[in-house]
Amino acid sequence: MYQSLLTRKYLTSKIMPLLAMAAVMLSVATILITWSIMGGFLNTLLSSGRVMIGDVAVVWPNVGFAHYDDLIEMLEDTEGIEAASPVIESFGMVKLPNDQVELMQVKGVDPASFSRVTSFEDTLWWHPIEKPTSKDRDGEDLRIIRVNDPETKDIDESANDYSAIFTEMEKNGKLMQRPNPITGAMEPAGLIGIELTGLNDRTGAGIYAPMNPIIPNASGGYESDSVFMPSNGSIGLTVLSLDSDGRPVDPVTRTIPVANEFQTGIYEVDSSLVLVRLDLLQKMLRMDQAERVVRTESTDPFAFERDPQTGELRPKMIESIGIDPARVTSVIVRGADGVDANDTREIVKQVYARFAHKHPGEVPSEHIIMLRTWEDTNRTMIEAVKKETGLVLFIFGIVSFTTVFLVLAIFWSMASEKTRDIGILRALGASTLGITWLWVRYGAVIGLVGSTLGTALGTIIVININGIHGWMGQTLGIVIWDPRVYYFVEIPREVEVSKALIVFVVGILTCILGALIPALHSARMDPVKALRFE
Amino acid sequence: MPSATTPVLDVRNVHKTYKLGRVKVPVLHGVDLTMDHGQWTAILGSSGSGKSTLLHLIGGLDRTTKSSNATTIVFDGRDVASMGKGALDRYRSSEVGFVFQFYHLLPELSVLENVTVGAMIRYGRLGYMSKRKETEDRAKDLLDRFGLSHRLRHRSKELSGGERQRVAIARALINEPRLLLADEPTGNLDRKTGDAILDVLAEFRAQHGLTMLMVTHDQHVAKRADRVIRLIDGRVQTDESQVQSPF
Ligand SMILES: Nc1ncnc2c1ncn2[C@@H]1O[C@H](COP(=O)(O)OP(=O)(O)OP(=O)(O)O)[C@@H](O)[C@H]1O
Ligand SMILES: [Mg+2]
Repeated sequence: MYQSLLTRKYLTSKIMPLLAMAAVMLSVATILITWSIMGGFLNTLLSSGRVMIGDVAVVWPNVGFAHYDDLIEMLEDTEGIEAASPVIESFGMVKLPNDQVELMQVKGVDPASFSRVTSFEDTLWWHPIEKPTSKDRDGEDLRIIRVNDPETKDIDESANDYSAIFTEMEKNGKLMQRPNPITGAMEPAGLIGIELTGLNDRTGAGIYAPMNPIIPNASGGYESDSVFMPSNGSIGLTVLSLDSDGRPVDPVTRTIPVANEFQTGIYEVDSSLVLVRLDLLQKMLRMDQAERVVRTESTDPFAFERDPQTGELRPKMIESIGIDPARVTSVIVRGADGVDANDTREIVKQVYARFAHKHPGEVPSEHIIMLRTWEDTNRTMIEAVKKETGLVLFIFGIVSFTTVFLVLAIFWSMASEKTRDIGILRALGASTLGITWLWVRYGAVIGLVGSTLGTALGTIIVININGIHGWMGQTLGIVIWDPRVYYFVEIPREVEVSKALIVFVVGILTCILGALIPALHSARMDPVKALRFE
Repeated sequence: MPSATTPVLDVRNVHKTYKLGRVKVPVLHGVDLTMDHGQWTAILGSSGSGKSTLLHLIGGLDRTTKSSNATTIVFDGRDVASMGKGALDRYRSSEVGFVFQFYHLLPELSVLENVTVGAMIRYGRLGYMSKRKETEDRAKDLLDRFGLSHRLRHRSKELSGGERQRVAIARALINEPRLLLADEPTGNLDRKTGDAILDVLAEFRAQHGLTMLMVTHDQHVAKRADRVIRLIDGRVQTDESQVQSPF
């Protein structure tokens, strides 16, 4: 009883507890902000990283495997599997509009099923948008839908409405097609990452301004070309075709018109991935369905013939026409909602075993086929970011650990200042435990108030981090999160309840811990000694 | 209730030596003292003679120093000198009322709270809840009798020395103790106020059978006591009974 009375009185009549509360509040807020933003960063990266790869991939690299249509059908008939799509993963030399040639990752996809497994449609950059993005204060984004104003139309470029064009581009992107500039007929087209050509200038507003390519020539000059990739740009793609054993044979080159550009949020992907139609890539790599001559030895042991090349005698061969089915290097799978990637992987494993038994000798057995979840595929990236988050938290944790000492020091001085009071209370019959409880309770109240304020402050800051950051940039000129450098336009701003709760509780415990030592010290003092304490 | 012939307080062979580093400061060596139930005893003695020290020992605030012969401080049949911690805490909160020489009020608390805090400690959280009204009424009544009813909400640091002393006496009485140990309770009071306080204490003694041991420098106060003892050279020297105990 006297504990709550004194706690109240001490709290309201001294500056020290306010300092302690402020210290706790700031540490709690700092930890929560750091953890939330780093965690948000990790989450954003993770969800960006899984855009193009589905939940689980069945992979047989290079040569690929056949009868994938059958596998997809079997998978899609299975409970817990939402969709599956065939993919070829390969590499190719890409000639960019400025005539530069670079090695890129090439994926052959079937847009219809690919969109059911992945959210690639959402990553297409060139599409009309209703409102400018949060950092695009001047409305410079070409994609914004505007009502055409005839007065300013020809003077101010940014007042023009291009939404019809972007609507068309978005549709073409989803279907991976583009009209032929001469005939107007739709022809298959590819998709490229938005950073791939280097022709899209990422501005401080986090949007892209297309530029024209500059093509240097041998005489030291350069030419410029008017190119906007999704409307008239194309890339030259060269791949090495494979023989039936998956060994590279001849280079095959095609010009691929670009239907749209995508931004996944992972720079690696956006700067080096090309998506082309599956059937086209199959043809280029000679992984499409093909007829071939199959030679088998005659069943007649006495039949001989001369080899046309060497002229030697050999057993007679019978020639027949065989069918080589089309192949892909992977089938990517999306699990049903709420089914975790590892569970999906188990389901896929079972389906694949049935599939392998159905096509014995024609497809890789279930023991050697590779099954990867999206986490396996992105392991290095995930691990790196997790490590960084851990490191930063560790450092801040140590910094905040000083709070324990701060609280301890504050409590020590408050307890010594109050030693005479403790002596009085002891003289009036208060027990050691009662006095300990007085201080622990005091610490808990300070911790509770500090932690509550800190959690609230941290949450408010995280939720409004972009606004605060914008304000800092405008008034103080401090821009930490520059979209030109960082890949996300906005700083992640989610606060997980579990994290907030942990930080909150730890904040309180810290205070109790800090109060405990002075509490025990002061409670153990002899009453008479305490009374004489100056 | 013990009969009048059995002393309620029986102090035997009390020694106290303070240690200041290596230097030993012997203060009490062999104090013997008995008090009957309801008796009012005044202790006289020069400054530094160990009066406060003796009161602290009897009140269970401090421990005696071991000596060759057995030390006992028996109050109502129980030896305070050999009590365990918990028992000592209970003894302090429920049997003894202590008035300190330097008042020792809690500066953050109001006058009323300074008085009731003794009851809070004695009864604990739940116990106090049910006794709250009763305790506060008693505290107000006491403060009223000490002429402080207009000061209930004031902080103790806003009071004069004499006012603080009266609050300290009220605090000592709030739990209706059976033994009152008062260290110069009227030291800061003018004679009139001092007399009024002593009247209240006398009334309390008559009502509740309070046994009172009181340190004083004031002959006038000593005269009102049943008996006066003198502390000289760490022993009780004179034991001059003045009046017979009313019991
Ligand atoms: N904690 C302590 N440590 C060392 N010496 C002490 C301690 N407490 C008291 N003393 C010494 O013991 C002696 C007696 O002190 P005490 O307070 O009992 O005297 P007193 O009789 O109450 O004096 P006064 O009339 O001035 O109040 C003094 O000399 C004092 O210095
Ligand atoms: Mg004294």
